[in-house]
Amino acid sequence: MKLLRSVVRKEYLEEIEGDLEEVYADFLEQYSIKKSRRLYNREVLKVLRPALLKPLSGGQKLNYYGMLQHNLLLSVRIFKRYKSSFLINLTGLATGLACVLLIYLWVNDERSIDKFHEKDSRLYQVMGNYHDGADINTWNGMSAQVAGALIAEVPEVEKAISGTDPSWNIGYDLTYQETKVKATGRHVGPDFFNMFSYPLVQGNPDQVLSNKNAIVISEILAKNLFNTTENLIGKTVEWSSMNLGGPVIISGIFSSPPANATDQFDLVLPYQLYADDFGDQWENPNSVAWVLLKEGADLKNVNAKIEGLIRKHLPESNKTLFLQKYSDQYLHGEFENGVEAGGRIEYVRFFSLIAIFILVIACINFMNLSTARASRRIKEVGVKKAVGAGRSSLIFQYLSESMLMSFLSLLVAIGLVFTVLPQFNIITGKQIEPILSSSLIIGGLGITLLTGLISGSYPALYLSGFNPAVVLKGMLKGTVGELWVRKGLVIFQFALSIIFIVGVLVVFKQMQLIQNKALGFDKDQLLYFEREGKTVDNLEPFLQGLKNLPGVENASAINNDMFHPPGVSDFTWEGQLGEQIDIRRQMVYYDFIETLGVTLKDGRSFSRDFPLNKEFQIVLNQKAVELMRLEEPVGKRVKIWGTDALIVGVVEDFHFHSLHESIGPMYFDLAPNFLLNTMVRIKAGSAKEALARMEDFYTEFNPGYTFNYKFLDQDFQELYESENRVAALSRYFAGFAILISALGLLGLVAFSAERRMKEIGIRKILGSGNLRIVYMLSGDFTKMVLAAIVIALPISYYITSDWLTGFAYPIELKWWFFAGAGAVALLVAWLTVGFQTLKAAAVNPVKCLRDE
Amino acid sequence: MKKTKLGEFEELVLMTVVVLQENAYGVEIKRELESRLNETLSVGSIQSALKRMEEKSFLTSEFGEATQKRGGKRKRIYKATPYAHKVLQDMKDVRTQLWAAMPAAAAKLNFLMN
Repeated sequence: MKLLRSVVRKEYLEEIEGDLEEVYADFLEQYSIKKSRRLYNREVLKVLRPALLKPLSGGQKLNYYGMLQHNLLLSVRIFKRYKSSFLINLTGLATGLACVLLIYLWVNDERSIDKFHEKDSRLYQVMGNYHDGADINTWNGMSAQVAGALIAEVPEVEKAISGTDPSWNIGYDLTYQETKVKATGRHVGPDFFNMFSYPLVQGNPDQVLSNKNAIVISEILAKNLFNTTENLIGKTVEWSSMNLGGPVIISGIFSSPPANATDQFDLVLPYQLYADDFGDQWENPNSVAWVLLKEGADLKNVNAKIEGLIRKHLPESNKTLFLQKYSDQYLHGEFENGVEAGGRIEYVRFFSLIAIFILVIACINFMNLSTARASRRIKEVGVKKAVGAGRSSLIFQYLSESMLMSFLSLLVAIGLVFTVLPQFNIITGKQIEPILSSSLIIGGLGITLLTGLISGSYPALYLSGFNPAVVLKGMLKGTVGELWVRKGLVIFQFALSIIFIVGVLVVFKQMQLIQNKALGFDKDQLLYFEREGKTVDNLEPFLQGLKNLPGVENASAINNDMFHPPGVSDFTWEGQLGEQIDIRRQMVYYDFIETLGVTLKDGRSFSRDFPLNKEFQIVLNQKAVELMRLEEPVGKRVKIWGTDALIVGVVEDFHFHSLHESIGPMYFDLAPNFLLNTMVRIKAGSAKEALARMEDFYTEFNPGYTFNYKFLDQDFQELYESENRVAALSRYFAGFAILISALGLLGLVAFSAERRMKEIGIRKILGSGNLRIVYMLSGDFTKMVLAAIVIALPISYYITSDWLTGFAYPIELKWWFFAGAGAVALLVAWLTVGFQTLKAAAVNPVKCLRDE
Repeated sequence: MKKTKLGEFEELVLMTVVVLQENAYGVEIKRELESRLNETLSVGSIQSALKRMEEKSFLTSEFGEATQKRGGKRKRIYKATPYAHKVLQDMKDVRTQLWAAMPAAAAKLNFLMN
């Protein structure tokens, strides 16, 4: 009954209650009390029909559609009437939304990387922690024995395989009859296609890699090699990489990895082929291992079980194992002391933060302009209230106005996003499709609703709170508090902009420093190319021929990548006090030190007069000598993997890493049999001629191969690829942040100049000069920007110095970075304000005073 | 003609209101219809039909006397408006005409079915 009273319309209540009671009485005549009650209750429930119930809110039916229509009409009229503030709002909000949408797309894309594997939640990478003294270094290098041991010893492991490290990106040549193509490939264990979701177009995932002489190729590779993907199973092709190779039979074809896979490869060979040549002893961490856990396995448990796995089989090892989720590696790829320490996720967070700030700046514009404009609409509010509009309906009106605004901006923003997306893809190196994906629609709508709500809330609450009597008398005086809110918002906007400017400046300077820093050798005239064909077996005559070319200064060979030298785990020397050093090894040929141009400090470099015999010959760098505390290093011997190595010389330190790290110990190792690349230094100033001559020589010497060279400084740039991209992106976004803030300021100034028109007129009549008026109008805003500078500088100092600690060679934070940022902000503010105020000051006083 | 939209059940209720005259209030309509249709109806269904028709101005209503049985609550007596009478008449005419047109078709139908 209570229910009935609360929901049924008042007008109907008495009648319906009466009816029900009468019916109940009828029931009582026929049935027992109990049954009558039950029937009665059913009758009551049946009364609950839409026609009889109260409308959802209020005592009377409100004409919602009518109100909404009225509100929209009003909004449109206001937009039309005050075109300038409408345009400022639209531009500001649309640019803000476009920035946010772009960042949203980027973040979404970053987060989707490697998530496409069906078994993603159970797919892990085996990682190793090396305990070197107090330090823990984390690395994914693993002995190939690990995978087998994991399956045998850990019950939670469903599948585990070894593979070559995808980051090596080893080049392969694949030959079929006369055709030969280059490809990147992996050697992986048999269950590869069962663990990872690279779908096989042809072939059975259980079998494609079970045969040692099998090869699985991608569709694209198949098309390149055969011009078709049909009927290829069972064909024999020849693979080669360095001095390895042999015939293999195609056992399957996979569709190439999608763009959001970190691992991009064209062919897959059985791991056993690799292990046969490079061994799979426990001491030999020359592969990586992936694990598929069983459903419901507890990661903590598994980690506890595998931690000591290596030591069990190799008691002297200083390495412990743990698992990292495969798809987490991309965003959480950095480790400090064996604990996850961010990685790209920092950029994701950083940009999400920027997106929020840009949106806030854009919302503030809207809030400020609408509250400032309040006086224009004050009468409207007063009249509405006087005829009985409730506060809630006014709030509703202003919110719907801001929603309309933000949806209009969304349309413009989506247009903008689609226009700049190709450019954005180039800057970020992504392939985001310009389609209205569901994530974009949901994200866009969510962000827009939020924007509308945030930017509409303050004006709505503020405007609807006026006292109609006061308002209609025209006695509105902004309270001090309200003025402070508006000023505070402007200060906040500019503070954010200044922080952005300082940030961009510091990032730019740091990148510049890195790219111009003296590395200890001249990286500019160095180029390298792969050794293949005849150059593999005839290195010596090839190098001699190269050196004889005019324009070529020197030539040598190097194992692999100049900037990613591999580490060596087993390195001991006389006088070692139990410590281990994380020393890096660079396998090179004669003349390498001269070609690279590092300075020899002591001893000799590798020379053909001292050919290699039983023992290694190595050249240490200065840092290694220091760490090993060797007094007279030259002529002493160290042991590498148990073999003697003679120290023949010492070179001065040079940078062989990204500049995030300081120079560590390393050595050059004369190893003529393991050299992947030829490296050549050409004379400065004659690059073109030298390259042409080299190409001629190469094609003559090595018929059937093309001369594909790469400059070393390109490699060097790639070390900082992500930083450079972030730097470029943040430049754009900082620019937009400043633009939006300036727009907001423009709106405010235009408005305040308009409101003070009469004051300006009177002042002019009384003899005030134009400049005086400009000064008067802009003084307020200057103060606000100055306050913003005062707030922003310490914050930006803190943020930037924190960022710089990530670099081994940070720039100094100079005072003028901050002064410059402040000056830029002030300049932007003055330019916007100045233009408006000059216009206001130049007005003819008669015009603005004649209507009184 | 939009206003003449009258549902089948509404039409029955409306006709019952006309039949019951001064006695046309919720429960009585329900009783009358139940006995004629030979099925059970709920107070809610009758009431919502009444309110809808009142909204469409087929009915007017006023409070009648209160009885002990109703817990002291007044009845609401419904009356059909002249407009409702007209609409009912219209509908009846349409039906009559249709029935008049039926025999030929019905005969055909019968013939086919045999």
